Amino acid sequence: MDRSGVKKRLLGLDREYGILLVIVAFIFTVPLWSRPIPGSVLHMDIVNIMCLAGTYACAVLGLNLLVGYAGQISLGHAAFFGIGAYTTAILCTRLTWYPTWLGVLSGMVLAGVIGWLVGVPVLRLKGHYLAMATLGLGEIAFILFTQLKWLTGGTVGVLNIPPLSVFGFAFDSDLKFYYLVWAVVALILLFSVNLIRSRVGRGLRALHSSEIAADAMGVPTAHYKIRVFVLSTVLAGLGGAFFAHFQRYINPETFILSLSILFVTMVVVGGMGDIWGGLVGVIFLAFLPPVIQALPEWIPGIPEGLTNFGNYQLILYGILLIVFMMFLPRGIAHGLERGAAFTNRRYRLLADHVKARKYE
Amino acid sequence: MVGRDADNRILVGGAAAAFCVLIVATLVVKGSTGLQWIMSGMTVGSIYALIAMGFSVIYSSTHVINFAQGEFSMLGGVLMFSLVTRGHLPTWLGFIIAVLIVTAIGAGLERVAIRPMRNHSVISVIIVTIGLAIALRATAKWIWGTDPVRVTAFSSGTRVKILGAYLPPQSFWVFGFAAVAVVLVFLFFNRTLLGKGMRAAAMNPDAASLVGVSSSTSSLVAWTIAAALGSAAGIVIAPIILPSFSSGAMLGLKGFSAAVVGGLGSAPGAVVGGLVLGVLETITAGVLPTGYKDAIAFLLLILVLLVRPQGLLGRAEDVKV
Repeated sequence: MDRSGVKKRLLGLDREYGILLVIVAFIFTVPLWSRPIPGSVLHMDIVNIMCLAGTYACAVLGLNLLVGYAGQISLGHAAFFGIGAYTTAILCTRLTWYPTWLGVLSGMVLAGVIGWLVGVPVLRLKGHYLAMATLGLGEIAFILFTQLKWLTGGTVGVLNIPPLSVFGFAFDSDLKFYYLVWAVVALILLFSVNLIRSRVGRGLRALHSSEIAADAMGVPTAHYKIRVFVLSTVLAGLGGAFFAHFQRYINPETFILSLSILFVTMVVVGGMGDIWGGLVGVIFLAFLPPVIQALPEWIPGIPEGLTNFGNYQLILYGILLIVFMMFLPRGIAHGLERGAAFTNRRYRLLADHVKARKYE
Repeated sequence: MVGRDADNRILVGGAAAAFCVLIVATLVVKGSTGLQWIMSGMTVGSIYALIAMGFSVIYSSTHVINFAQGEFSMLGGVLMFSLVTRGHLPTWLGFIIAVLIVTAIGAGLERVAIRPMRNHSVISVIIVTIGLAIALRATAKWIWGTDPVRVTAFSSGTRVKILGAYLPPQSFWVFGFAAVAVVLVFLFFNRTLLGKGMRAAAMNPDAASLVGVSSSTSSLVAWTIAAALGSAAGIVIAPIILPSFSSGAMLGLKGFSAAVVGGLGSAPGAVVGGLVLGVLETITAGVLPTGYKDAIAFLLLILVLLVRPQGLLGRAEDVKV
């Protein structure tokens, strides 16, 4: 968002599109440099982690719009993620002729419909009722995924889900899936940028600064909040469907409250209401566990116990969340931006100083 | 507005009538088994009520939903295991020490993590409480491991028979503690200056601060009370539920549902919500496959949010500009 009124530009484009282009270019090159490095050096498979991060990114970018612009928080996005995953998994395994891309689409539609059914009555109220309702919905969804054994396979889940294929081309390897999911994430980013610059986006921004003022200026706030919420559930459904076709099996244990909280954490850590922030949060938190695990391999001398992730992951997670809210409430992305602005200013001052010396 | 009030009264009355019909029907159809269900429902319902009151106290003083509330109960339960079952302290001493430890933790967390957030949005503070819950749970997992622990009952003895229904003696401890806690909370908020000040601050924080009610003290006291209530609930129920590092999450969610069903911010609402939820849950568990038992709380939660978002006994909130 531009507060100075002067359009900032990057690579000859409007700043947002410039950033998007840089991100797309970077994502395209990731497999090119990470694949040739032998696995024993990194102790992680970057492309594989990025595939999973890509499925999360679909959900998180939608949730980011909801949290950042509608000022509402959802604690049940794992449910919509799960609905997307189970819909396509069940359709594509039970009906062998069912095209997988149609399965993904069906998952998005069902997640959106359920989101709409919950959102319409709850979002007409002011206050944090959406958080409460989605929390309940998330728990109910988990119970149904576990209990409806004839449909979902109970605790075992659904196995042998076919890979996603479009017109006979199957995305059956990590690399193929990587390019597919990140191309879709790039489209979602493009869509988000355009949305925020549109009439609806301006309404949402007004809604975020003051709901009452926005109401008074004629922004249909309840309507906009419902739309953003449904959009976020559709995107969560998309992420979940991708997840099912990437993992090739799903079970209820994935779609629990912790996943909903992980999504919210990604939004918060990256930067609420900052489109790039959501992306930063996803990548940061997707790589945090493998990086901590790989630390003793990279730096000899670190005690094994300190990085035993099973024990310390959650303590670290909780504290990280609190510390981020306290010291970087607007997220990593905002912090980076401020840091960049700071160094920029320093350089400009230095340049001015040098120039002044020259004319002395 | 009059018509809407009347609608609401019909709604709440109808809900109460439906609940009574359900109770009577259970008793008639199932006899002493039905009574058994209702009694054990009230036992667990009392616990939900105490946890719900913790949610309500914090919500009315700061408008924050404290997602770490259930962890206070979990900590109470596992501490009781260490002090009494392992440490062989007398039950009453273990109870007091455990409550004091958890209360100190609650008050400390308020100072360290909640107080510095006073100028941030409510969403940020809610996320901090989620962080606290995760950290507390993980710390408990680190200290007490993953296996559930068995806490000795407060009094020995076999089950007590009432009208053909069997109750463990611990149930009576639960009822007793819940009643005492409710009375204490009532006295605090209605008879002490600090309590009355906190009620005033909940209604109108600006006006209350003008007459000298400190919002900082309110918040600290609210967290202290919530931690004390939560830990007491977790301790008295511990011999019945086998606490573990993860048992706080479900207790917290149920207590939260009870608070919303009764009316978030209303103490009588918390009691009614807790008892109704507990009884409905055990009846459902008796009739449907047990896996669905946990769904009742959340179905009720969503139903109430859709139909009467201020809860059964809550008052509709005014929107201030």
